[in-house]
Amino acid sequence: MNDSEQAPIIPEEGEVGFVEYQDFVSKEPFKFASGGKLPELTLRYETYGHLNAAKDNAVLICHALSGDHHCAGVHGIEERKQGWWNFMVGPGKPIDTTRYFVICSNVLGGCQGSTGPGSINSETGKAYQLDFPKLTVQDMVRAQSLLVDHFGIDRLHAVIGGSMGGMQTVQWAIDFPDRVGRYIALACGARHTAQAIAFNDTGRQAIISDPAWQQGSYDPQHGPDQGLAVARMMAHITYLSDVGMESKFGRKRRNADESKEHFDVEFEVESYLRYQGASFVSRFDANSYLYLTKALDRFDLHGPESLDATLSAVTAPGLVVGFTSDWLYPPQGNREIVESLLRLGKHATYAELAMDFGHDSFLVRAPRLYELIHRFLIR
Amino acid sequence: MSPNDKKRQADSQIIARWVHEGDRVLDLGCGRGILLEYLQQKKSIYGVGVDIDLGKILSCVKRGVPAYQGDIGAILATFPDDSFDHVILSRTVEQLEDADSTLAEGLRVGRHVTVGFVNKGFWINRLNALFHGNRTVNEVYPKPWYESMPSNPFSVAEFEAFCDERKIVIKNRAYLSGDWRNECRKLPNLLAGYAIYDLSSID
Repeated sequence: MNDSEQAPIIPEEGEVGFVEYQDFVSKEPFKFASGGKLPELTLRYETYGHLNAAKDNAVLICHALSGDHHCAGVHGIEERKQGWWNFMVGPGKPIDTTRYFVICSNVLGGCQGSTGPGSINSETGKAYQLDFPKLTVQDMVRAQSLLVDHFGIDRLHAVIGGSMGGMQTVQWAIDFPDRVGRYIALACGARHTAQAIAFNDTGRQAIISDPAWQQGSYDPQHGPDQGLAVARMMAHITYLSDVGMESKFGRKRRNADESKEHFDVEFEVESYLRYQGASFVSRFDANSYLYLTKALDRFDLHGPESLDATLSAVTAPGLVVGFTSDWLYPPQGNREIVESLLRLGKHATYAELAMDFGHDSFLVRAPRLYELIHRFLIR
Repeated sequence: MSPNDKKRQADSQIIARWVHEGDRVLDLGCGRGILLEYLQQKKSIYGVGVDIDLGKILSCVKRGVPAYQGDIGAILATFPDDSFDHVILSRTVEQLEDADSTLAEGLRVGRHVTVGFVNKGFWINRLNALFHGNRTVNEVYPKPWYESMPSNPFSVAEFEAFCDERKIVIKNRAYLSGDWRNECRKLPNLLAGYAIYDLSSID
Protein backbone atom coordinates (compact mmCIF):
# COMPACT_ATOMS: atom_id res chain seq x y z
CA MET A 1 0.00 0.00 0.00
CA ASN A 2 1.23 3.36 -1.01
CA ASP A 3 1.37 5.62 2.03
CA SER A 4 0.32 8.66 0.08
CA GLU A 5 -3.00 6.95 -0.55
CA GLN A 6 -3.61 6.59 3.16
CA ALA A 7 -3.12 10.24 3.97
CA PRO A 8 -6.27 12.17 4.82
CA ILE A 9 -7.61 13.98 1.78
CA ILE A 10 -9.88 16.39 3.56
CA PRO A 11 -8.05 19.47 4.78
CA GLU A 12 -10.29 21.55 6.99
CA GLU A 13 -13.63 20.68 8.46
CA GLY A 14 -16.35 23.14 9.32
CA GLU A 15 -19.83 22.90 10.76
CA VAL A 16 -23.21 23.34 9.14
CA GLY A 17 -24.19 25.49 12.13
CA PHE A 18 -27.76 26.61 12.75
CA VAL A 19 -30.39 24.94 10.65
CA GLU A 20 -34.15 25.11 10.34
CA TYR A 21 -36.55 22.53 9.06
CA GLN A 22 -39.09 23.16 6.31
CA ASP A 23 -42.33 21.43 5.42
CA PHE A 24 -43.09 20.32 1.88
CA VAL A 25 -46.82 19.87 1.30
CA SER A 26 -48.21 18.03 -1.67
CA LYS A 27 -51.92 18.62 -2.13
CA GLU A 28 -52.18 15.79 -4.61
CA PRO A 29 -53.53 12.47 -3.30
CA PHE A 30 -50.68 10.07 -2.58
CA LYS A 31 -51.22 6.45 -3.58
CA PHE A 32 -49.44 3.62 -1.78
CA ALA A 33 -48.13 0.48 -3.45
CA SER A 34 -50.72 -1.42 -1.41
CA GLY A 35 -53.48 0.61 -3.04
CA GLY A 36 -54.12 2.79 0.02
CA LYS A 37 -54.34 6.54 -0.39
CA LEU A 38 -53.66 9.78 1.48
CA PRO A 39 -55.58 12.91 0.45
CA GLU A 40 -52.38 14.95 0.84
CA LEU A 41 -48.86 14.58 2.08
CA THR A 42 -46.38 16.52 4.18
CA LEU A 43 -42.66 15.81 4.35
CA ARG A 44 -40.54 17.64 6.88
CA TYR A 45 -37.01 18.18 5.67
CA GLU A 46 -33.78 20.06 6.11
CA THR A 47 -31.26 21.13 3.50
CA TYR A 48 -27.63 22.15 3.80
CA GLY A 49 -25.42 23.78 1.18
CA HIS A 50 -26.63 25.32 -2.06
CA LEU A 51 -28.30 23.87 -5.12
CA ASN A 52 -26.22 24.90 -8.13
CA ALA A 53 -27.67 26.41 -11.31
CA ALA A 54 -27.52 23.10 -13.16
CA LYS A 55 -29.32 21.47 -10.20
CA ASP A 56 -27.01 18.50 -10.39
CA ASN A 57 -25.24 18.63 -7.04
CA ALA A 58 -27.98 17.31 -4.76
CA VAL A 59 -27.32 14.50 -2.32
CA LEU A 60 -30.31 12.85 -0.68
CA ILE A 61 -29.75 11.30 2.74
CA CYS A 62 -32.20 8.63 3.91
CA HIS A 63 -32.46 8.13 7.65
CA ALA A 64 -32.81 4.96 9.71
CA LEU A 65 -35.85 3.71 11.64
CA SER A 66 -35.53 5.99 14.63
CA GLY A 67 -33.78 8.84 12.81
CA ASP A 68 -35.26 11.97 11.31
CA HIS A 69 -34.69 14.84 8.90
CA HIS A 70 -32.28 16.57 11.27
CA CYS A 71 -28.97 15.02 10.27
CA ALA A 72 -26.57 17.95 10.66
CA GLY A 73 -26.14 21.19 12.55
CA VAL A 74 -28.17 22.44 15.51
CA HIS A 75 -31.59 24.07 15.72
CA GLY A 76 -30.62 26.72 18.24
CA ILE A 77 -28.13 27.79 20.87
CA GLU A 78 -29.93 25.89 23.59
CA GLU A 79 -29.82 22.64 21.62
CA ARG A 80 -26.71 20.72 22.59
CA LYS A 81 -27.35 17.73 20.37
CA GLN A 82 -26.22 17.94 16.78
CA GLY A 83 -27.94 16.20 13.88
CA TRP A 84 -27.54 12.42 13.80
CA TRP A 85 -24.89 12.40 11.04
CA ASN A 86 -23.22 15.68 11.88
CA PHE A 87 -19.72 14.22 11.57
CA MET A 88 -20.48 13.15 8.01
CA VAL A 89 -22.25 16.27 6.73
CA GLY A 90 -20.72 19.74 6.61
CA PRO A 91 -18.11 21.92 4.96
CA GLY A 92 -15.04 19.79 4.21
CA LYS A 93 -16.73 16.63 5.50
CA PRO A 94 -17.34 13.58 3.28
CA ILE A 95 -20.80 14.86 2.36
CA ASP A 96 -19.32 18.26 1.74
CA THR A 97 -21.85 21.08 1.95
CA THR A 98 -19.55 23.43 0.07
CA ARG A 99 -19.88 21.06 -2.85
CA TYR A 100 -23.26 19.37 -2.49
CA PHE A 101 -26.81 20.46 -1.79
CA VAL A 102 -27.86 18.01 0.90
CA ILE A 103 -31.48 17.04 1.47
CA CYS A 104 -32.77 14.90 4.31
CA SER A 105 -36.48 14.37 4.92
CA ASN A 106 -38.40 12.64 7.66
CA VAL A 107 -39.74 9.43 6.21
CA LEU A 108 -43.35 8.89 5.13
CA GLY A 109 -45.07 7.08 8.00
CA GLY A 110 -42.70 8.72 10.48
CA CYS A 111 -43.59 10.99 13.36
CA GLN A 112 -41.22 13.94 13.25
CA GLY A 113 -43.32 16.19 11.06
CA SER A 114 -43.96 14.07 7.98
CA THR A 115 -47.32 12.45 7.40
CA GLY A 116 -47.66 9.31 9.46
CA PRO A 117 -50.23 7.40 11.52
CA GLY A 118 -50.25 10.20 14.10
CA SER A 119 -51.09 12.91 11.54
CA ILE A 120 -54.56 14.36 11.13
CA ASN A 121 -56.50 13.11 8.14
CA SER A 122 -57.85 16.26 6.51
CA GLU A 123 -60.90 14.35 5.31
CA THR A 124 -61.98 13.15 8.75
CA GLY A 125 -60.34 15.69 11.03
CA LYS A 126 -58.97 12.83 13.12
CA ALA A 127 -55.58 11.15 13.34
CA TYR A 128 -55.11 8.28 10.88
CA GLN A 129 -53.81 5.85 13.46
CA LEU A 130 -54.54 2.38 12.09
CA ASP A 131 -56.38 3.83 9.07
CA PHE A 132 -52.97 4.81 7.75
CA PRO A 133 -52.39 2.68 4.64
CA LYS A 134 -50.05 -0.30 4.57
CA LEU A 135 -46.59 1.18 4.18
CA THR A 136 -43.62 -0.09 2.16
CA VAL A 137 -40.07 1.13 1.54
CA GLN A 138 -41.17 1.83 -2.04
CA ASP A 139 -43.79 4.27 -0.74
CA MET A 140 -41.18 6.05 1.38
CA VAL A 141 -38.97 6.49 -1.67
CA ARG A 142 -41.76 7.67 -3.93
CA ALA A 143 -42.77 10.31 -1.37
CA GLN A 144 -39.15 11.54 -1.31
CA SER A 145 -39.19 11.74 -5.10
CA LEU A 146 -41.99 14.31 -4.85
CA LEU A 147 -39.75 16.45 -2.65
CA VAL A 148 -36.94 16.09 -5.19
CA ASP A 149 -39.41 17.17 -7.90
CA HIS A 150 -40.32 20.17 -5.78
CA PHE A 151 -36.70 21.39 -6.01
CA GLY A 152 -36.77 20.94 -9.78
CA ILE A 153 -34.03 18.32 -9.53
CA ASP A 154 -34.12 15.75 -12.34
CA ARG A 155 -31.18 13.71 -11.19
CA LEU A 156 -29.60 13.42 -7.76
CA HIS A 157 -25.82 13.41 -7.59
CA ALA A 158 -26.17 10.68 -4.98
CA VAL A 159 -28.53 8.91 -2.62
CA ILE A 160 -27.05 7.66 0.62
CA GLY A 161 -28.33 6.03 3.79
CA GLY A 162 -27.76 3.41 6.45
CA SER A 163 -30.00 0.65 7.81
CA MET A 164 -33.60 1.48 6.80
CA GLY A 165 -31.98 4.40 4.94
CA GLY A 166 -29.78 1.92 3.10
CA MET A 167 -32.83 -0.03 1.98
CA GLN A 168 -34.44 3.18 0.74
CA THR A 169 -31.21 4.00 -1.06
CA VAL A 170 -31.18 0.71 -2.96
CA GLN A 171 -34.90 1.13 -3.66
CA TRP A 172 -34.14 4.54 -5.15
CA ALA A 173 -31.58 2.97 -7.49
CA ILE A 174 -34.16 0.37 -8.55
CA ASP A 175 -37.24 2.58 -8.89
CA PHE A 176 -35.60 5.73 -10.28
CA PRO A 177 -32.52 4.60 -12.22
CA ASP A 178 -32.52 7.79 -14.29
CA ARG A 179 -32.61 10.03 -11.26
CA VAL A 180 -29.75 8.52 -9.24
CA GLY A 181 -26.16 9.40 -10.16
CA ARG A 182 -24.70 6.97 -7.61
CA TYR A 183 -25.74 5.47 -4.33
CA ILE A 184 -24.18 4.40 -1.05
CA ALA A 185 -26.03 1.91 1.15
CA LEU A 186 -24.61 1.18 4.59
CA ALA A 187 -25.45 -1.59 7.07
CA CYS A 188 -28.46 -2.84 5.13
CA GLY A 189 -29.55 -5.94 3.30
CA ALA A 190 -31.79 -7.27 0.56
CA ARG A 191 -34.34 -8.42 3.12
CA HIS A 192 -34.74 -9.07 6.81
CA THR A 193 -33.45 -12.31 8.24
CA ALA A 194 -35.82 -14.39 10.38
CA GLN A 195 -33.94 -13.05 13.39
CA ALA A 196 -34.52 -9.42 12.39
CA ILE A 197 -38.24 -10.10 11.88
CA ALA A 198 -38.37 -11.90 15.22
CA PHE A 199 -36.87 -8.93 17.05
CA ASN A 200 -39.20 -6.50 15.31
CA ASP A 201 -42.25 -8.55 16.13
CA THR A 202 -41.29 -8.89 19.77
CA GLY A 203 -41.06 -5.11 19.84
CA ARG A 204 -44.44 -4.76 18.17
CA GLN A 205 -45.99 -7.20 20.62
CA ALA A 206 -44.64 -5.15 23.52
CA ILE A 207 -46.54 -2.15 22.11
CA ILE A 208 -49.71 -4.00 21.16
CA SER A 209 -49.97 -5.77 24.51
CA ASP A 210 -49.68 -2.48 26.39
CA PRO A 211 -53.31 -1.73 27.44
CA ALA A 212 -52.71 1.94 26.62
CA TRP A 213 -52.32 1.05 22.94
CA GLN A 214 -56.13 0.56 22.62
CA GLN A 215 -56.07 -1.01 19.16
CA GLY A 216 -53.99 1.91 18.00
CA SER A 217 -56.57 4.53 18.87
CA TYR A 218 -54.78 5.98 21.89
CA ASP A 219 -54.73 9.64 22.80
CA PRO A 220 -51.22 10.86 21.83
CA GLN A 221 -50.73 12.19 25.37
CA HIS A 222 -51.43 8.75 26.88
CA GLY A 223 -49.90 6.31 24.42
CA PRO A 224 -48.45 2.85 25.10
CA ASP A 225 -45.28 4.31 26.59
CA GLN A 226 -44.32 1.17 28.47
CA GLY A 227 -44.62 -1.02 25.42
CA LEU A 228 -42.79 1.42 23.18
CA ALA A 229 -39.97 1.83 25.70
CA VAL A 230 -39.51 -1.93 25.98
CA ALA A 231 -39.58 -2.25 22.17
CA ARG A 232 -36.89 0.39 21.93
CA MET A 233 -34.77 -1.15 24.67
CA MET A 234 -34.77 -4.47 22.92
CA ALA A 235 -34.18 -2.99 19.49
CA HIS A 236 -31.33 -0.93 20.87
CA ILE A 237 -29.56 -4.10 21.98
CA THR A 238 -29.67 -5.32 18.39
CA TYR A 239 -28.00 -2.09 17.23
CA LEU A 240 -24.98 -2.70 19.45
CA SER A 241 -22.59 -5.62 19.64
CA ASP A 242 -21.61 -8.01 22.39
CA VAL A 243 -18.03 -6.73 22.32
CA GLY A 244 -19.16 -3.11 22.19
CA MET A 245 -21.52 -3.51 25.16
CA GLU A 246 -18.90 -5.38 27.13
CA SER A 247 -16.33 -2.65 26.68
CA LYS A 248 -18.81 0.15 27.30
CA PHE A 249 -20.62 -1.31 30.31
CA GLY A 250 -19.20 -4.66 31.31
CA ARG A 251 -20.68 -5.46 34.71
CA LYS A 252 -20.25 -1.93 35.97
CA ARG A 253 -22.75 -1.14 38.70
CA ARG A 254 -24.82 1.94 38.88
CA ASN A 255 -25.40 2.03 42.58
CA ALA A 256 -24.11 -0.09 45.42
CA ASP A 257 -27.05 0.90 47.61
CA GLU A 258 -28.42 -2.41 48.93
CA SER A 259 -31.48 -0.81 50.47
CA LYS A 260 -33.07 -0.27 47.06
CA GLU A 261 -35.77 -2.45 45.60
CA HIS A 262 -34.59 -5.78 44.33
CA PHE A 263 -35.35 -5.01 40.66
CA ASP A 264 -34.33 -1.40 40.50
CA VAL A 265 -31.53 -0.36 38.20
CA GLU A 266 -28.42 -2.13 39.38
CA PHE A 267 -26.11 -2.42 36.38
CA GLU A 268 -24.89 0.42 34.20
CA VAL A 269 -26.26 -1.27 31.09
CA GLU A 270 -29.77 -1.37 32.61
CA SER A 271 -29.63 2.31 33.31
CA TYR A 272 -28.46 3.02 29.78
CA LEU A 273 -31.20 0.99 28.14
CA ARG A 274 -33.95 2.35 30.38
CA TYR A 275 -32.80 5.83 29.50
CA GLN A 276 -32.87 4.92 25.80
CA GLY A 277 -36.39 3.57 26.19
CA ALA A 278 -37.67 6.56 28.12
CA SER A 279 -36.17 9.17 25.82
CA PHE A 280 -37.47 7.35 22.75
CA VAL A 281 -41.04 7.50 24.08
CA SER A 282 -40.79 11.28 24.29
CA ARG A 283 -40.00 11.62 20.58
CA PHE A 284 -41.57 8.64 18.85
CA ASP A 285 -45.11 7.57 18.07
CA ALA A 286 -45.95 3.93 18.80
CA ASN A 287 -48.09 3.46 15.69
CA SER A 288 -45.30 4.89 13.53
CA TYR A 289 -43.00 2.32 15.08
CA LEU A 290 -45.43 -0.46 14.18
CA TYR A 291 -45.82 0.74 10.58
CA LEU A 292 -42.15 1.35 9.95
CA THR A 293 -40.93 -1.94 11.41
CA LYS A 294 -43.55 -3.80 9.42
CA ALA A 295 -42.44 -2.05 6.22
CA LEU A 296 -38.90 -3.19 6.94
CA ASP A 297 -39.95 -6.79 7.60
CA ARG A 298 -41.85 -6.88 4.30
CA PHE A 299 -39.00 -5.33 2.32
CA ASP A 300 -37.68 -8.13 0.12
CA LEU A 301 -35.54 -7.55 -2.95
CA HIS A 302 -35.57 -11.29 -3.62
CA GLY A 303 -39.22 -11.03 -4.58
CA PRO A 304 -41.37 -11.37 -6.56
CA GLU A 305 -38.97 -13.15 -8.90
CA SER A 306 -35.35 -13.05 -7.73
CA LEU A 307 -32.74 -10.66 -6.37
CA ASP A 308 -31.09 -10.48 -9.79
CA ALA A 309 -34.41 -9.71 -11.48
CA THR A 310 -35.16 -6.91 -8.98
CA LEU A 311 -31.73 -5.35 -9.23
CA SER A 312 -31.57 -5.56 -13.01
CA ALA A 313 -33.22 -2.11 -13.18
CA VAL A 314 -30.25 -0.46 -11.45
CA THR A 315 -27.96 1.61 -13.68
CA ALA A 316 -26.03 3.84 -11.26
CA PRO A 317 -22.71 2.85 -9.69
CA GLY A 318 -23.20 1.75 -6.10
CA LEU A 319 -21.20 1.30 -2.94
CA VAL A 320 -22.48 -1.06 -0.26
CA VAL A 321 -20.76 -1.11 3.10
CA GLY A 322 -21.16 -3.88 5.67
CA PHE A 323 -19.87 -3.94 9.23
CA THR A 324 -18.31 -7.05 10.72
CA SER A 325 -19.95 -6.68 14.14
CA ASP A 326 -23.44 -5.98 12.75
CA TRP A 327 -25.55 -8.96 13.74
CA LEU A 328 -28.87 -7.29 12.90
CA TYR A 329 -28.00 -6.69 9.23
CA PRO A 330 -24.95 -8.94 8.95
CA PRO A 331 -22.24 -8.47 6.29
CA GLN A 332 -23.61 -11.37 4.25
CA GLY A 333 -26.89 -9.52 3.63
CA ASN A 334 -24.98 -6.48 2.37
CA ARG A 335 -22.60 -8.58 0.34
CA GLU A 336 -25.32 -10.44 -1.51
CA ILE A 337 -26.63 -7.17 -2.96
CA VAL A 338 -23.24 -6.48 -4.53
CA GLU A 339 -22.79 -10.09 -5.60
CA SER A 340 -26.06 -9.85 -7.48
CA LEU A 341 -25.15 -6.48 -9.03
CA LEU A 342 -21.81 -7.88 -10.19
CA ARG A 343 -23.51 -10.94 -11.67
CA LEU A 344 -25.63 -8.48 -13.61
CA GLY A 345 -22.54 -6.65 -14.85
CA LYS A 346 -23.28 -3.47 -12.87
CA HIS A 347 -20.78 -1.07 -11.39
CA ALA A 348 -20.85 -1.98 -7.71
CA THR A 349 -18.40 -2.01 -4.84
CA TYR A 350 -18.55 -3.85 -1.53
CA ALA A 351 -16.45 -2.75 1.42
CA GLU A 352 -16.48 -4.18 4.91
CA LEU A 353 -15.40 -2.32 8.01
CA ALA A 354 -14.16 -4.07 11.11
CA MET A 355 -15.70 -1.99 13.88
CA ASP A 356 -17.02 -3.01 17.30
CA PHE A 357 -20.14 -0.89 17.30
CA GLY A 358 -22.51 -3.42 15.77
CA HIS A 359 -25.28 -2.24 13.49
CA ASP A 360 -24.80 1.35 14.65
CA SER A 361 -21.23 1.39 13.32
CA PHE A 362 -22.35 3.57 10.42
CA LEU A 363 -23.24 6.26 12.94
CA VAL A 364 -19.74 6.24 14.40
CA ARG A 365 -17.02 8.42 13.05
CA ALA A 366 -14.30 6.22 11.58
CA PRO A 367 -11.51 7.42 9.25
CA ARG A 368 -11.97 4.57 6.78
CA LEU A 369 -15.71 5.12 6.49
CA TYR A 370 -15.04 8.81 6.08
CA GLU A 371 -12.62 8.14 3.25
CA LEU A 372 -14.84 5.64 1.48
CA ILE A 373 -17.81 7.98 1.34
CA HIS A 374 -15.74 11.01 0.44
CA ARG A 375 -14.01 9.22 -2.41
CA PHE A 376 -17.06 7.51 -3.78
CA LEU A 377 -19.07 10.74 -3.83
CA ILE A 378 -16.35 12.78 -5.47
CA ARG A 379 -15.58 10.39 -8.34
CA MET B 1 5.76 6.56 -11.51
CA SER B 2 8.58 5.07 -9.44
CA PRO B 3 10.86 2.41 -11.03
CA ASN B 4 9.26 -0.10 -8.69
CA ASP B 5 5.78 0.81 -9.88
CA LYS B 6 7.01 0.52 -13.44
CA LYS B 7 8.35 -2.90 -12.72
CA ARG B 8 5.20 -3.94 -10.89
CA GLN B 9 3.17 -3.00 -13.93
CA ALA B 10 5.39 -4.59 -16.56
CA ASP B 11 2.78 -7.28 -17.01
CA SER B 12 -0.07 -4.82 -17.70
CA GLN B 13 0.92 -4.27 -21.32
CA ILE B 14 1.16 -7.96 -22.03
CA ILE B 15 -2.18 -8.70 -20.39
CA ALA B 16 -3.71 -5.84 -22.39
CA ARG B 17 -2.62 -7.59 -25.59
CA TRP B 18 -4.77 -10.58 -24.70
CA VAL B 19 -7.82 -8.54 -23.66
CA HIS B 20 -10.27 -7.30 -26.26
CA GLU B 21 -12.18 -4.03 -26.43
CA GLY B 22 -15.13 -4.09 -24.05
CA ASP B 23 -14.24 -7.42 -22.45
CA ARG B 24 -15.52 -8.36 -19.01
CA VAL B 25 -12.59 -8.78 -16.63
CA LEU B 26 -12.45 -10.07 -13.05
CA ASP B 27 -9.17 -9.35 -11.26
CA LEU B 28 -8.66 -11.62 -8.24
CA GLY B 29 -6.28 -10.02 -5.78
CA CYS B 30 -6.67 -6.71 -7.57
CA GLY B 31 -4.63 -4.68 -5.09
CA ARG B 32 -4.99 -0.97 -5.72
CA GLY B 33 -6.85 -1.49 -9.00
CA ILE B 34 -4.00 -0.25 -11.18
CA LEU B 35 -4.25 -3.05 -13.74
CA LEU B 36 -8.02 -2.67 -14.08
CA GLU B 37 -7.72 1.09 -14.40
CA TYR B 38 -5.15 0.56 -17.15
CA LEU B 39 -7.40 -1.91 -18.97
CA GLN B 40 -10.38 0.43 -18.60
CA GLN B 41 -8.38 3.17 -20.26
CA LYS B 42 -6.79 1.03 -22.97
CA LYS B 43 -9.57 -1.40 -23.78
CA SER B 44 -12.77 0.09 -22.29
CA ILE B 45 -13.32 -3.10 -20.33
CA TYR B 46 -15.95 -3.75 -17.66
CA GLY B 47 -13.69 -4.69 -14.79
CA VAL B 48 -14.26 -5.81 -11.21
CA GLY B 49 -11.55 -6.24 -8.62
CA VAL B 50 -11.54 -8.54 -5.62
CA ASP B 51 -9.33 -8.01 -2.61
CA ILE B 52 -9.44 -8.96 1.05
CA ASP B 53 -7.94 -5.69 2.26
CA LEU B 54 -10.07 -2.60 2.88
CA GLY B 55 -7.17 -0.26 2.14
CA LYS B 56 -6.93 -1.74 -1.34
CA ILE B 57 -10.68 -1.38 -1.87
CA LEU B 58 -10.37 2.29 -0.89
CA SER B 59 -7.73 2.76 -3.56
CA CYS B 60 -10.01 1.10 -6.12
CA VAL B 61 -12.85 3.44 -5.14
CA LYS B 62 -10.47 6.34 -5.64
CA ARG B 63 -9.72 5.06 -9.15
CA GLY B 64 -13.36 4.44 -10.00
CA VAL B 65 -12.74 0.70 -10.24
CA PRO B 66 -15.61 -1.43 -8.90
CA ALA B 67 -14.26 -3.77 -6.25
CA TYR B 68 -15.48 -6.44 -3.89
CA GLN B 69 -13.92 -6.86 -0.50
CA GLY B 70 -13.90 -10.49 0.42
CA ASP B 71 -12.70 -13.97 -0.15
CA ILE B 72 -11.79 -15.03 -3.69
CA GLY B 73 -13.33 -18.48 -3.39
CA ALA B 74 -16.59 -17.11 -2.00
CA ILE B 75 -17.12 -14.54 -4.75
CA LEU B 76 -16.17 -16.97 -7.52
CA ALA B 77 -18.85 -19.36 -6.32
CA THR B 78 -21.53 -16.68 -6.79
CA PHE B 79 -20.88 -16.30 -10.52
CA PRO B 80 -22.44 -18.53 -13.20
CA ASP B 81 -20.21 -20.18 -15.83
CA ASP B 82 -18.45 -17.93 -18.35
CA SER B 83 -19.47 -14.71 -16.58
CA PHE B 84 -16.21 -13.06 -17.60
CA ASP B 85 -13.97 -13.03 -20.64
CA HIS B 86 -10.90 -12.93 -18.42
CA VAL B 87 -10.26 -13.88 -14.83
CA ILE B 88 -6.89 -12.47 -13.82
CA LEU B 89 -4.65 -13.69 -11.02
CA SER B 90 -1.65 -11.40 -11.14
CA ARG B 91 0.80 -12.33 -8.37
CA THR B 92 -2.11 -13.93 -6.55
CA VAL B 93 -1.78 -17.67 -7.16
CA GLU B 94 1.23 -18.04 -4.86
CA GLN B 95 -0.86 -16.69 -1.97
CA LEU B 96 -3.88 -18.93 -2.45
CA GLU B 97 -4.69 -21.60 0.07
CA ASP B 98 -6.01 -23.93 -2.58
CA ALA B 99 -4.58 -22.81 -5.91
CA ASP B 100 -5.77 -25.93 -7.71
CA SER B 101 -9.48 -25.46 -7.02
CA THR B 102 -9.35 -21.68 -7.36
CA LEU B 103 -7.83 -22.00 -10.83
CA ALA B 104 -10.50 -24.55 -11.73
CA GLU B 105 -13.20 -22.15 -10.49
CA GLY B 106 -11.54 -19.34 -12.43
CA LEU B 107 -11.73 -21.40 -15.59
CA ARG B 108 -15.41 -22.07 -14.94
CA VAL B 109 -16.28 -18.39 -14.32
CA GLY B 110 -13.99 -16.98 -17.02
CA ARG B 111 -13.43 -18.04 -20.61
CA HIS B 112 -9.76 -17.23 -20.07
CA VAL B 113 -7.66 -17.20 -16.93
CA THR B 114 -4.58 -15.00 -16.86
CA VAL B 115 -1.89 -15.95 -14.37
CA GLY B 116 1.23 -13.90 -13.72
CA PHE B 117 3.93 -14.80 -11.21
CA VAL B 118 7.54 -14.33 -10.18
CA ASN B 119 9.49 -17.36 -11.42
CA LYS B 120 11.04 -19.18 -8.53
CA GLY B 121 13.34 -20.95 -10.99
CA PHE B 122 14.96 -17.69 -12.16
CA TRP B 123 18.72 -18.13 -11.82
CA ILE B 124 19.23 -15.22 -9.43
CA ASN B 125 16.56 -16.63 -7.15
CA ARG B 126 18.33 -19.98 -7.33
CA LEU B 127 21.73 -18.47 -6.54
CA ASN B 128 20.22 -16.50 -3.71
CA ALA B 129 18.84 -19.65 -2.21
CA LEU B 130 22.05 -21.56 -2.91
CA PHE B 131 24.53 -19.09 -1.48
CA HIS B 132 22.51 -17.37 1.19
CA GLY B 133 19.74 -19.83 1.81
CA ASN B 134 17.35 -16.86 1.68
CA ARG B 135 13.87 -16.55 0.28
CA THR B 136 13.44 -14.29 -2.73
CA VAL B 137 13.37 -10.60 -1.95
CA ASN B 138 13.17 -8.16 -4.85
CA GLU B 139 11.64 -4.81 -5.83
CA VAL B 140 8.20 -6.34 -6.05
CA TYR B 141 8.46 -8.36 -2.87
CA PRO B 142 10.69 -6.04 -0.85
CA LYS B 143 9.49 -7.08 2.59
CA PRO B 144 11.33 -9.60 4.78
CA TRP B 145 9.61 -12.87 5.63
CA TYR B 146 8.22 -11.65 8.93
CA GLU B 147 6.34 -8.76 7.31
CA SER B 148 4.91 -10.47 4.26
CA MET B 149 1.87 -12.57 3.50
CA PRO B 150 2.35 -16.34 3.45
CA SER B 151 3.52 -17.23 -0.03
CA ASN B 152 4.03 -20.45 -1.90
CA PRO B 153 6.25 -19.52 -4.87
CA PHE B 154 6.70 -21.88 -7.83
CA SER B 155 8.66 -22.06 -11.04
CA VAL B 156 7.77 -21.86 -14.73
CA ALA B 157 8.43 -25.60 -15.08
CA GLU B 158 6.25 -26.46 -12.08
CA PHE B 159 3.38 -24.33 -13.36
CA GLU B 160 3.50 -25.74 -16.87
CA ALA B 161 3.59 -29.29 -15.51
CA PHE B 162 0.50 -28.47 -13.46
CA CYS B 163 -1.35 -27.13 -16.53
CA ASP B 164 -0.38 -30.25 -18.43
CA GLU B 165 -1.65 -32.55 -15.70
CA ARG B 166 -4.95 -30.65 -15.32
CA LYS B 167 -5.43 -30.49 -19.11
CA ILE B 168 -5.44 -26.70 -18.94
CA VAL B 169 -4.68 -25.23 -22.35
CA ILE B 170 -2.01 -22.52 -22.50
CA LYS B 171 -3.33 -20.18 -25.20
CA ASN B 172 -0.62 -17.58 -24.88
CA ARG B 173 2.44 -17.15 -22.75
CA ALA B 174 5.04 -14.46 -22.16
CA TYR B 175 8.29 -14.64 -20.25
CA LEU B 176 10.02 -11.51 -19.02
CA SER B 177 13.72 -11.41 -18.27
CA GLY B 178 15.11 -10.39 -14.91
CA ASP B 179 14.42 -6.70 -15.47
CA TRP B 180 10.77 -7.53 -16.21
CA ARG B 181 10.94 -5.32 -19.28
CA ASN B 182 12.37 -7.33 -22.13
CA GLU B 183 10.86 -10.58 -23.20
CA CYS B 184 12.89 -13.66 -22.46
CA ARG B 185 13.03 -16.03 -25.45
CA LYS B 186 14.93 -19.06 -24.23
CA LEU B 187 15.26 -21.32 -21.21
CA PRO B 188 12.42 -19.57 -19.38
CA ASN B 189 12.58 -21.75 -16.29
CA LEU B 190 16.12 -20.52 -15.73
CA LEU B 191 16.17 -17.11 -17.40
CA ALA B 192 12.69 -15.67 -16.95
CA GLY B 193 12.18 -13.42 -13.94
CA TYR B 194 8.47 -13.28 -14.54
CA ALA B 195 5.94 -15.40 -16.42
CA ILE B 196 2.43 -14.63 -17.67
CA TYR B 197 -0.03 -17.17 -19.06
CA ASP B 198 -3.33 -16.94 -20.84
CA LEU B 199 -5.17 -20.16 -19.99
CA SER B 200 -8.37 -21.78 -21.13
CA SER B 201 -10.18 -25.00 -20.33
CA ILE B 202 -10.89 -25.63 -24.00
CA ASP B 203 -8.65 -25.81 -27.06
